Amino acid sequence: MDHDVIVIGGGVNGTGVARDCAMRGLSVLLLEKQDFGVGASGNSSGMIHGGIRYMTSDRKVTALACRDSGYIRRIAPHLIFRIPFLMPFASKRDGATLLERAAWYATEVYVGTYDLYQPLKGGKPSSRLAPEELYAIEPALRPGLHGAVTLDEWGIDAFRLCALNALSSERHGAEVRNWTEATEVVKEAGRVIGVRWRDALTGETGFSRAPVVFNASGAWSPALGRRAGVSVPMRPGKGVHLTLDRRFSNYGIICTAVDGRQMFLMPHENDSIIGTTDDDYYGDPDDLEASSDEVEYLLEGVESLVPGVRRARVTRAWCGLRTTLYEYGKNEDDLSREHLLYDHAAEGAAGLLSFAGGKLASYRAQSEEVTDRILARLGRPPVACRTHEEPLPGGESLPDPAELARRHGVAQGVTARLAYRHGALAEQVLRLCGEDPRLKLCLCRDEGIIAAEVVHCARHEKVRRLQDLRRRCRLATGGCAGLDCARVAAQLAARELGWDAERVRAELSDLLELDWRERRAVLDGAQLAAEEMARAVHRGLGGL
Amino acid sequence: MSARLECEVLVVGGGLAGAMAALAARRSGARVALARRAPGATAVSSGAISSGTDPTELPGASLGARAGVADSARRLAALRPRHPYAVAGERLERLEEALAFAAGELSPVLAPFTGRHRWLPTPYGSFQAAALCQRSMVAADLGEARGRLAVVALRGHMAWDAGMVASAVERAAPLGGPRAEVARLDFPMWEEAALWRPHELAGFLERPGAAEDLGAMLRRSLPSGASAAVFPPVLGLSPGADVASRVAAAAGLPVAETLSDVPSVPGLRLQAALEARLRSAGVEILAGDLREGKGPGAPAACAGREVLAPSWVLASGRFVGGGIVRRGALAEPLLGIPVTAAEAFGDWGAHLARRPAASLTYREGRAPQPLLSAGVACDALFRPLDAHGAVIHERLFAAGAVLGGHDQAADGSGLGLAVFTGYLAGQAAAAGGSLAPAPAASGRPAGMLAPGGGGAGA
Repeated sequence: MDHDVIVIGGGVNGTGVARDCAMRGLSVLLLEKQDFGVGASGNSSGMIHGGIRYMTSDRKVTALACRDSGYIRRIAPHLIFRIPFLMPFASKRDGATLLERAAWYATEVYVGTYDLYQPLKGGKPSSRLAPEELYAIEPALRPGLHGAVTLDEWGIDAFRLCALNALSSERHGAEVRNWTEATEVVKEAGRVIGVRWRDALTGETGFSRAPVVFNASGAWSPALGRRAGVSVPMRPGKGVHLTLDRRFSNYGIICTAVDGRQMFLMPHENDSIIGTTDDDYYGDPDDLEASSDEVEYLLEGVESLVPGVRRARVTRAWCGLRTTLYEYGKNEDDLSREHLLYDHAAEGAAGLLSFAGGKLASYRAQSEEVTDRILARLGRPPVACRTHEEPLPGGESLPDPAELARRHGVAQGVTARLAYRHGALAEQVLRLCGEDPRLKLCLCRDEGIIAAEVVHCARHEKVRRLQDLRRRCRLATGGCAGLDCARVAAQLAARELGWDAERVRAELSDLLELDWRERRAVLDGAQLAAEEMARAVHRGLGGL
Repeated sequence: MSARLECEVLVVGGGLAGAMAALAARRSGARVALARRAPGATAVSSGAISSGTDPTELPGASLGARAGVADSARRLAALRPRHPYAVAGERLERLEEALAFAAGELSPVLAPFTGRHRWLPTPYGSFQAAALCQRSMVAADLGEARGRLAVVALRGHMAWDAGMVASAVERAAPLGGPRAEVARLDFPMWEEAALWRPHELAGFLERPGAAEDLGAMLRRSLPSGASAAVFPPVLGLSPGADVASRVAAAAGLPVAETLSDVPSVPGLRLQAALEARLRSAGVEILAGDLREGKGPGAPAACAGREVLAPSWVLASGRFVGGGIVRRGALAEPLLGIPVTAAEAFGDWGAHLARRPAASLTYREGRAPQPLLSAGVACDALFRPLDAHGAVIHERLFAAGAVLGGHDQAADGSGLGLAVFTGYLAGQAAAAGGSLAPAPAASGRPAGMLAPGGGGAGA
């Protein structure tokens, strides 16, 4: 056998399991048909939350989720940031009804109970804010609110979380192949014996043998299962998010949408995110795009508490598919967010396991559970899991941006973002500037991307296409639509990866198409002006 | 407020279309004021003026055999009935006259109009047609240059890749263009200059001796047999600095720069040349937002002055310039003129202005996008039309990107169309509408715009 286990899918579950398996001494092959996190993981809300909603059904789940949030904070302290949320108390009319007051009290008690679990994840306890306190910290809220409770959660760059898990698994000996599609799960006498794959960029094909195949391909799982003759029941739910061009509020704000669903506006990294929708999706997971209606629904929901949101510049509308467990007769919102591991032995595919459901925040615990099962399937003795102890790459220490800036002669705005994205490895990125001072060239002032970071990612972070840099360092995801950064980044990547001019043009074109899909539904105001300028340059001048 | 400014023509917008309108009106003897709040899209343009290429041309056609500027525009008009070229009807014959006028007015920066396209390399590895280009670009005209072009790599700066430019030249080689060879220069020589923005490099090259040193450096590194050298677009900001000629004199061969993306040194240079010419031609420039503007014949305020003019030229641009905005719906914010949009499949008109943005686009990003060609509809004299297709005001003209029906990224007619429509609109405005045929259906008195002229709430 070539490997002990082949993991299909480079989302957070696939990369998390690959890492855990590799750390427990298994020989692992990880296949991702595009890039790490391109599906539901990277397009999630980017939150490591403690599962407050499970307190009503199963408090053990909340305890587990909170403890795991604490672990993720331990292994990737650089990538995690606090998002304090406000749950404002709104009444229908001027004076609050008794019922409304009772509901607020219930919320307060509920969040107060959640406080018991906050120490597990290193979060701060909640507090009750009087109206004047609320408006002092969040003046953008509409008048007439009756105060709020606060709630502490964690945010994360989910694309990087996936990439770091993949890179870590490689450090532990796994073979990691992005842009490589699993074309066929091969079976023999009711057992899986391996996977055929095809490299999407080189066209290379191959067959790798392994007694266990773990299907973590998210919304693509049912189709992969069908090709292997097994069933992976799933009810995919489309979730749309909007990105605003700046941090629009100081705090995360929980709002109510027109249909009564809970949604939010929250500051996240350098901008703000509005989310999310939840609708059944029957289409092709490769063909996913936000619609004007979904954009309007989200803006309307936030507008109910933050009227100024209509003046905000929406730079992107992006979406992913929740891999929700199948159940008939329920509303999307009422579906369980639990996860399930399917063992397809009874369907004539022993050794094939599929994963459905689950949450980003619990990926590590989920991966531990799956890895335990894989070890059992392989008949190996149990090995202790260490994914909660060993830091992800860069998570070993937290560098001080001011000190980095002083020592390397780079603006602190840049070193702060570098330290955020790369943690302890920011030093390694900046050392490139010592060797070649030209690499201090700033490609994006919003994101603090310098040439050295592009070079570092191309060398060490499995960048195979220009669009991979969107996910490694947020290249070309801002409001200017890649006007400043795309060409120069492509040139830098070309030097590292040996691309000729034709390939550079193809990569640029591919990146711009991807960006366009996310902007199509939000072309308004200043964003439309930016679009006109970017098109004049990229399509008009560049002929891309 | 100081004394009222009375003139024959008020131009709104300070980009190329507005400048052409103002200069054409001045040439006709009119007193002209030009109101602008900021440099428009011209300052972020490539620096050359393209009027659109023949959409029926095969990509393999040799550069020498391709349709000239006038023929290209005619073929574009034949295929795109809503393009201002098509709307202009017979007046499209005056395109060459307009371009020659622009070349003359801006002769410090622009090379003379030849009637054929120039094919100029870009930093993206493409080459693009230009009806007019700056003097600093002529030597890189792939339709004219022969032999071997030395493409200059600035070793000290990573923003440009000579390999990409060389690939653009090589792409044109089978079509009759020159060959390319990369020449590496150790420039800029200081560490901090590696981080300069394009305009900072350009400013540096204007200093006494800097261009000469660069030329001398080039002379030492030239590949043998080079016929001309092509630089990144940083050859001086000011039209008068003449950096390209100075480098050429020191290097001993013709020197050119490529077209530019944003920020654009050639674009800023073109804008500076416009401003200088407007001042020397005696156009009154008012810097600020135009307020209380109800249209021709009604007083408006700008930069603390009251302006009164019987003829207006609206040259306020599209989305970048702010002449057309979309805030939930497409609108023309100054006069409330209805904005005409097109749908991805078929339908066209002012009634589409409120449609969701996505329904005015195609999914394929590189396809021409109807939303990006939204603008004001006009008659053959470039007078804006109301929602029923009637002329809004006999003496209200429009020019440049505020006119709809063309997508400059798709058909390449951006600044060339600004020159053409600006020139004709300026002349017509100066003639006080007397160039116009007898008033058509609309019988409104001068000086009044229809209330609520269809523009969506801005």
